[in-house]
Amino acid sequence: MITENERWLLSFYRTSEISGSLFFGRLAKSLKPGPIQHDMTRHYADEAMHAWYWTDCLDKLGVEPLELGTAYQDQYLAAAGMPVNIMEILAITQVFERRVINQYAIHSRAEGLNELVKSTIERIVEDEKWHIKWIRDALKGMEPEYGKDTVDATMERFLEADRQVYEQTVREHGERVRELLPK
Amino acid sequence: MTTKAVTHHQRIKQILAQSLSRAPGEIDDGDRLTDLVAESFALVETVITLQEELGIRLAQEDLRGVETVADLVRVCSERL
Repeated sequence: MITENERWLLSFYRTSEISGSLFFGRLAKSLKPGPIQHDMTRHYADEAMHAWYWTDCLDKLGVEPLELGTAYQDQYLAAAGMPVNIMEILAITQVFERRVINQYAIHSRAEGLNELVKSTIERIVEDEKWHIKWIRDALKGMEPEYGKDTVDATMERFLEADRQVYEQTVREHGERVRELLPK
Repeated sequence: MTTKAVTHHQRIKQILAQSLSRAPGEIDDGDRLTDLVAESFALVETVITLQEELGIRLAQEDLRGVETVADLVRVCSERL
């Protein structure tokens, strides 16, 4: 039903969603009550559901998820350094979410895409749009506290890290992603 | 250390221990932070928890050169 490369990619998405969920879940537990705790808790729940969607999708396609060691976002810390406050965490998450939505858009346009994979992507992308919106609004709201220049510089630092991580991922796993691209 | 400094020191170590699921007595000032956590995200979580509990904000430059528990306690104490 799906190629081995696609199985790897769906497993990669699944691992990434699990890591995101675990991270945001832990953060949501640490944060004081307020709008950020509220939205981050929903974000964490969404990521957990996305991991479930991919697990279920793989199951319905008749394959088991592959066990992958590290998630995509693990590489961000190595490239950009550790985010040290909630503004930096939201900035790195915003950059990551944009990359995710872009990757899902590329995948959804792949020729001959399995209908179940397509509908799973579409379901997830709806949530991802909200993730980008709530974080953008939260970062805007943090500008008086941190300074707009600091928020902008932080975004730029993580965008640069994102470019490095993405290039590295394409170098390592390019052959798995290339089959998504138009022939 | 003054009484106030001792109180801050104890409180910060207590939060640190709780965040790392350890007893306060299991954490020494000289312990390297990277040795106390299983993975990098746990350290991020710990630093955020400290800021939330203490009502302080830390920046990248504050944590530059911070390697041990004592370093982190000092940086947090300076913000209190």
